[in-house]
Amino acid sequence: MHAIEAISLEKRFGTIQALAGISFSVEEGETFGFLGPNGAGKTTTIRILTGMTEPTGGSGRIFGRDVVQEKIPARREIGIVHETSNIYTDLSAWENLMFTARLYNVGKRERESRALDLLSVFGLSGRKDDKTKGFSKGMKRRLTIAMGLINNPRLLFLDEPTSGLDVQSNLIIRDVIRRLAGEGVTIFLTTHNIEEANILCDRVAIINRGRIAAIDTPERLKKTIQSVQSIEVAFDPPGAVRAEDLAGIDQVTGVRKMGDKIRLITGDPPAVIVGVTDYARRSGLRIISINTLGPSLEDVFIRLTGLDGEGGGGGP
Amino acid sequence: MRSVSEYCTGVCTGFSAAWAIARKDILIYYAKPNIIVSGMLFPLFMFLAFALGRPADPATMVPGLIAITILFSSSSIEPVSIPLERRTKTFERLLSAPISLHMVVLGESMSGFLYACCIALVPLAAGMVLFQTSLPDLPALAAGILLLSFCFATMGTLFAAYPTESPGDIMSMLNLVRLPLIFVSGVFVPMGQVPFPGQIIAYLSPLTYGNDLVQAGFGKATLFHPAIDIAALCIAIGIFQSLANRLYHTFNE
Ligand SMILES: Nc1ncnc2c1ncn2[C@@H]1O[C@H](COP(=O)(O)OP(=O)(O)O)[C@@H](O)[C@H]1O
Ligand SMILES: [Mg+2]
Repeated sequence: MHAIEAISLEKRFGTIQALAGISFSVEEGETFGFLGPNGAGKTTTIRILTGMTEPTGGSGRIFGRDVVQEKIPARREIGIVHETSNIYTDLSAWENLMFTARLYNVGKRERESRALDLLSVFGLSGRKDDKTKGFSKGMKRRLTIAMGLINNPRLLFLDEPTSGLDVQSNLIIRDVIRRLAGEGVTIFLTTHNIEEANILCDRVAIINRGRIAAIDTPERLKKTIQSVQSIEVAFDPPGAVRAEDLAGIDQVTGVRKMGDKIRLITGDPPAVIVGVTDYARRSGLRIISINTLGPSLEDVFIRLTGLDGEGGGGGP
Repeated sequence: MRSVSEYCTGVCTGFSAAWAIARKDILIYYAKPNIIVSGMLFPLFMFLAFALGRPADPATMVPGLIAITILFSSSSIEPVSIPLERRTKTFERLLSAPISLHMVVLGESMSGFLYACCIALVPLAAGMVLFQTSLPDLPALAAGILLLSFCFATMGTLFAAYPTESPGDIMSMLNLVRLPLIFVSGVFVPMGQVPFPGQIIAYLSPLTYGNDLVQAGFGKATLFHPAIDIAALCIAIGIFQSLANRLYHTFNE
């Protein structure tokens, strides 16, 4: 049985097609990433799978239960961490956890011992009885995730768990995600952070404009675009370089400025190195550094989502 | 009989989750200033306005004061708490919890219900102390206070279904209904003196039946038999509850 099964999920809001028929499945124990830019349909997918909104087409199942017809039993198995840290700021951290536990019908003894554990895991033990109004953004996020775990879920939905957080909170959260995965909890997380998907997920779906562009392991996704390698080069003086000239070099398929460096996309790095050296000599520029890079998940992402400034022509 | 026992467990967990929601509202919202103003001060001013405008004995107005105190206090919590929770997205917690929407509506209404039951004791106690009023029909009074509180708390939850993040939007819609009800429901103005179209509204207004029960509790002349009042209020509660359930479902996109 799959932990999650999405079959041609479709969602329209009036004329906006938020999801254009997406299908995927997540196995029990897997950490599955949904990677996509803002407005791609990540949150909408979670809202449908958790029964908060109904799909306008297709169907979804959580551990074999239909998310529309059997949403209440399906929800007992899951924890949800919404995109916004939705805690009650007039209540203490402890009261927030107790309220959530009661909502999920967790017995008194169990909820108290779990709450103590979670507060310590998330580094909030010292602030247990403080009103959460004064919590930092990272502390609020950590408490939100703790609330999502209070019912000991088999499946955890995390909507952008680390977006815009401080380093310490990020580390704690990623650590908890890894630990949960080790305990066999299925995790569905959305992110627009490519590195996060790369380091946390067993498999990643790249979603853009309501469609899935690719689903695979991070490594295999990188392999699919082996043709996309790149040369990263820094010139002196940096201001004198013209991108059009670089784009004209033989075998160069794309040019991206990365800070003071320039990245040239190519399938043939040795040829481009020769071309760049020629170009520098002709233009009187000095090459400060030059590196060859393999494809990154970011390249896959940009390629598949058409975000490289071509007006969206790149995605399948 | 596995399905029956599963069903019973489901109902029990539903109720305990509804109570958790009510408890949370009690902790957070009972002390909010705008709720105190609309729930307690507003009915008091209405009472003073009617009491000063008429030469009648203020003692005769105590049952009516109780009725409108309940009307305002019971329907003052959810129209504030629900839009605020929409704004902070905490409302999504309730909508994504493993409980039915009916239990969410019930839980929300319960906090308004308990609030009104407590607030109603203020004019009741004041009336008994100041005017030495007697209460010949205590069961009718109790039924009146409980059902009226529950009915208008559910109405508050119903109005709060309107998908806004601003309590003011809901309060203004609600006042459009609450204020006219005071004039047509026989609270301070006897039914006989209400002009014709108002009388039809009065028969549709739960406040008429609730006020009638409270009047019965004080041994005053009533319009209907208490059983009719109770039935009418129960029907109104059922209608508000199912309408609210439907609206929350519709607006929850
Ligand atoms: N309630 C809604 N009403 C109208 N449009 C919506 C609603 N929710 C989402 N959308 C639209 O659906 C698309 C996908 O949104 P969303 O799932 O929130 O994206 P993501 O989470 O990937 O950033 C966006 O174009 C968004 O504007
Ligand atoms: Mg989102």
